[in-house]
Amino acid sequence: MARVIRYAPLVLVAGVIVVLAVAFRYDPHDVRSAAVGKPAPAFSLEALEGGGRIDLASYRGKVVVVNFFASWCVPCRQEHAALANAWTRYGGSGVVLIGVLYQDDPSSGREFMRRLGGGWPTAIDEDGRVALSFGVFGIPETFFIGPDGIIAGRHIGPIDEATLATGIDALRRASLSPP
Amino acid sequence: MTRTRVALLLAVIAIACALALAARAPAPTNEARADRLAEELRCPVCQGLSVRDSPSETARQMRELAAQRVAEGRNDDQIRDEFRASYGDWVLLAPPLLAWSGLVWVVPFALVVLGFVLAGGLLRRRQVSEAAPTAAQLATLRERVANDPGVYE
Repeated sequence: MARVIRYAPLVLVAGVIVVLAVAFRYDPHDVRSAAVGKPAPAFSLEALEGGGRIDLASYRGKVVVVNFFASWCVPCRQEHAALANAWTRYGGSGVVLIGVLYQDDPSSGREFMRRLGGGWPTAIDEDGRVALSFGVFGIPETFFIGPDGIIAGRHIGPIDEATLATGIDALRRASLSPP
Repeated sequence: MTRTRVALLLAVIAIACALALAARAPAPTNEARADRLAEELRCPVCQGLSVRDSPSETARQMRELAAQRVAEGRNDDQIRDEFRASYGDWVLLAPPLLAWSGLVWVVPFALVVLGFVLAGGLLRRRQVSEAAPTAAQLATLRERVANDPGVYE
């Protein structure tokens, strides 16, 4: 017992140091999404342009990148060029980019896409249910979905071209390699 | 006499039953249930605010979803699980006990128990050190007294 008492403060201090060392390795803002590693929530939303609907299930078998954005969101404006470049690079090779307008007026969203350019399918999440089902914290937020329909990764905040390419290439490689 | 006692006993039982029935809480309304669930959920775009207390658009949408699920007849656990499927246990302001996050409930109590154990050990050690001297200590003392009795006068 005497030995336990003698070493207890040392053990407690060591424990605190270990906990802090582990905790400081993580970004406190990066709360891990429970949706990653699970099947992407199904959705069928009204398209921003053209009046049709955008159904996630119709893209099964392809690498899908779902990007939640709004016209009033400054970081969304910042990342738009990276999304446009990724769409130009991968759009014709079995990769789908879906924009989801979140907490925004459709007319503002249309104006945003016309002004900044785009061309990828964009849907309106009018009541925010799709964003809630994906576990969106704040826009912009981007999800990488594999051909098997499983969410493979998520990026919070404005995404750059390199991150997009890394995520897409990893999923394409995984889908091409034999199981 | 016996009949009077039986009647009295029956009256007491009847009154107790009536009181118990009257005291039973009425089933919560759908609105109250949705409100309570919103109080349990953490707003994803706020700092430590519940969905009920947050004025944000995201919190409003979460309140609407909870209210809709209540109206559809889902129970509280099913509604909580729907939010947990998207946001994990993080979305619950009070983490569930049977999960990693449940450590926040267990660790403080474990530390208090550990503190009591250590304090008990310290006290016991002090008592032992203040207790009667050992045979060897007594022998040493007797020897010193025998050699120099004037010192202890």
